Amino acid sequence: MKENAASRVVFILLLFLYASLLNGQSPPEKPKLIKCRSPGKETFTCWWEPGADGGLPTNYTLTYHKEGETLIHECPDYKTGGPNSCYFSKKYTSIWKMYVITVSAINQMGISPSDPLYVDVTYIVEPEPPMNLTLELKHPEDRKPYLWIKWSPPTLTDVKSGWFSIQHEIRLKPEKATDWETHFAPKLTQLKIFNLYPGQKYLVQIRCKPDHGYWSEWSPESSIQIPNDFPVKDTSMWIFVGVLSAVICLIMVWAVALKGYSMVTCILPPVPGPKIKGFDIHLLEKGKSEEFLRALESQDFLPTSDCEDLLMEFIEVDDSEDQHLMPRPSKEHMEQGVKPMHLDPDTDSGRGSCDSPSLLSEKCDEPQAYPSKFHIPEGPEKLENPETNLTCLQAPQSTNGEGKIPYFLANGPKSSTWPFPQPPSLYSPRYSYHNIADVCELALGMAGTTATLLDQTDQHAFTPSKTIETGGEGKAAKQRESEAYSSEPDQDMAWPLLQDKTPLISAKPLEYVEIHKVSQDGVLALFPKQNEKFGAPEASKEYSKVSRVTDSNILVLVPDPQAQNLTLLEEPAKKAPPALP
Amino acid sequence: MSNLLLCQGNFCTFLCPHGDDLCLNSLKDLFNRATNLSQDIYNLSSKMFKEFDKRYAQGKGYITMALNSCHTSSLPTPEDKEQAQQTHHEVLMSLILGLLRSWNDPLYHLVTEVRGMKGVPDAILSRAIEIEEENKRLLEGMEMIFGQVIPGAKETEPYPVWSGLPSLQTKDEEARHSAFYNLLHCLRRDSSKIDTYLKLLNCRIIYNNNC
Repeated sequence: MKENAASRVVFILLLFLYASLLNGQSPPEKPKLIKCRSPGKETFTCWWEPGADGGLPTNYTLTYHKEGETLIHECPDYKTGGPNSCYFSKKYTSIWKMYVITVSAINQMGISPSDPLYVDVTYIVEPEPPMNLTLELKHPEDRKPYLWIKWSPPTLTDVKSGWFSIQHEIRLKPEKATDWETHFAPKLTQLKIFNLYPGQKYLVQIRCKPDHGYWSEWSPESSIQIPNDFPVKDTSMWIFVGVLSAVICLIMVWAVALKGYSMVTCILPPVPGPKIKGFDIHLLEKGKSEEFLRALESQDFLPTSDCEDLLMEFIEVDDSEDQHLMPRPSKEHMEQGVKPMHLDPDTDSGRGSCDSPSLLSEKCDEPQAYPSKFHIPEGPEKLENPETNLTCLQAPQSTNGEGKIPYFLANGPKSSTWPFPQPPSLYSPRYSYHNIADVCELALGMAGTTATLLDQTDQHAFTPSKTIETGGEGKAAKQRESEAYSSEPDQDMAWPLLQDKTPLISAKPLEYVEIHKVSQDGVLALFPKQNEKFGAPEASKEYSKVSRVTDSNILVLVPDPQAQNLTLLEEPAKKAPPALP
Repeated sequence: MSNLLLCQGNFCTFLCPHGDDLCLNSLKDLFNRATNLSQDIYNLSSKMFKEFDKRYAQGKGYITMALNSCHTSSLPTPEDKEQAQQTHHEVLMSLILGLLRSWNDPLYHLVTEVRGMKGVPDAILSRAIEIEEENKRLLEGMEMIFGQVIPGAKETEPYPVWSGLPSLQTKDEEARHSAFYNLLHCLRRDSSKIDTYLKLLNCRIIYNNNC
């Protein structure tokens, strides 16, 4: 039964449809809402596109309801907007509210509603193009000529109250050109265009856009003819620019000519070559490799603990192995690189400082605090102070054979006299071997300080094989001490001399002197180094008179014949050195 | 422009009573900056909405759910030009302030939740962050303007509170996307309101209805 009823209904419907098709009539096709637009955010219009009408006269009805309302309204105005449109006047327009709009096509056969369109007037604003576009050529005196474009806001937009905010865009081109020149003009109603070509006809268009919305269409073209005699450029300005640039060029040329080189170096500074301290190209070029390396090494580098070859600096230059000193490399290397000056207050190694009960104790009247740093008083200042004493103490005096290198002990005023004024400018903040060696060399220190001749050092300069042992050589030092307050200088004393580029003032090559003895009142007796083996001192010539001081802080001593006899007399008394601790 | 005469229908107010240019210029400056900020916020929120719509909402019909979903709809904001022009500038300002304040919290959560969305385009996230920042700045500026135009104004009035956080955090992806859509839709609308009201006030107060 049911099946029968169903099939019957279908049959009737099909019959109906067939009949209408035969007539060519059908319900209308669903219309489609195209768009809605508002020209000024106060009204809006919607347009739709009708579908097939189904062969029957079809009416269209637009219905809508607003967000938050249930009431359905019909379009208030179908005419103003043209065919298939609906115009919403101010009365019916609300901003910031969603409209749900539907258009229905109705004919005899049926009703076909469209899909709903959700519209918020805020976002569908599209204004008309601006109006009253006027073009005017202006040529004020003393200023550049320009094209003055003016317009007024489009219709239906309330700009004055601020309800509607607009931005503008203008484009122009010569009539025959293809590309437009576009200019942006926010919120203004006029624009000035410069740099137009004379003798051309220009076309101008303008359009605008609201702050939230779509661009308008381009306005109709306005045209203007630029006369042939229209001055494009302001010649006076160009003359001024030309003169100014010429003046600037002249100034620059003059400046370059004056300070060409310094400017070039300022802009392109010379690439600095590698700079290694003590690196003397000239020595290298001359082929004096030994001197070169010596110069290199005498810099106050802190040698690493495994640089045995650097220890050669502290090896005595002397041939005889007995006389080698053995400084304690590791510890003393750390002391500012200046072995001769090192005073280690911690280890009373008996270097013959004033505080140690050593040979020199009697020489020092006051307990001298070990300066932890080497300090040589300013030379010139101390020259006037005869009481200041420079003590060059010899490391080898230590009993444990640590073989200290000669160092300087700068004392305060002492009663012990120093026979010669201190060499000037001994003070050196660098405490390099160089200076120490010089000082030690010159200072007729209490401890015997000897220096080998320069040439003697050459052979031993680069013999890293000379190891430094604390044991055996200490004995040798001790042995030497017993004979004289002398010891071998360290090689480092020799190096600095080598590196001392200051030419010796005297033509005669400087010889090294050895401290023969120290008298009771602290007078050192210096003798030229007679032989390498320190034996009984020969009282041939005592150097106790200062001749001069060289630039490189070297005291040049000459024998003092007057003192000879005195020295000789005192000699035997001092022959036996005091017992070493 | 010695005295800024503010006349609007039934009420006139004298701003900058001492007539000094500094006061006028500073107010002009404040409004200028405020309108720039509000325009920027609108642009960002509009782009953000379009981006989200394109990516997550196509063919989903979220718009139907977005009707009447804005938490600020309780504020009595004017809805056409006539209404807006008849609203007193004090009322307009307090409406602006209320809108700005009521968006502080949702913007903060928007940024947090957008960050957590899988595959969210950077265009959305970066804009959300920027809007949150600029909203705060605009609120500060508005409070300054408010203080200058209406000296002795009352303290903060109550503003609508947003309670849509649970729907943003729901596990159902469709429901969550729908909630986001709502929020972005309302944000776009409210930023447009703020922008329009500010420009109205600017032309009214600074330029005397002669923009």
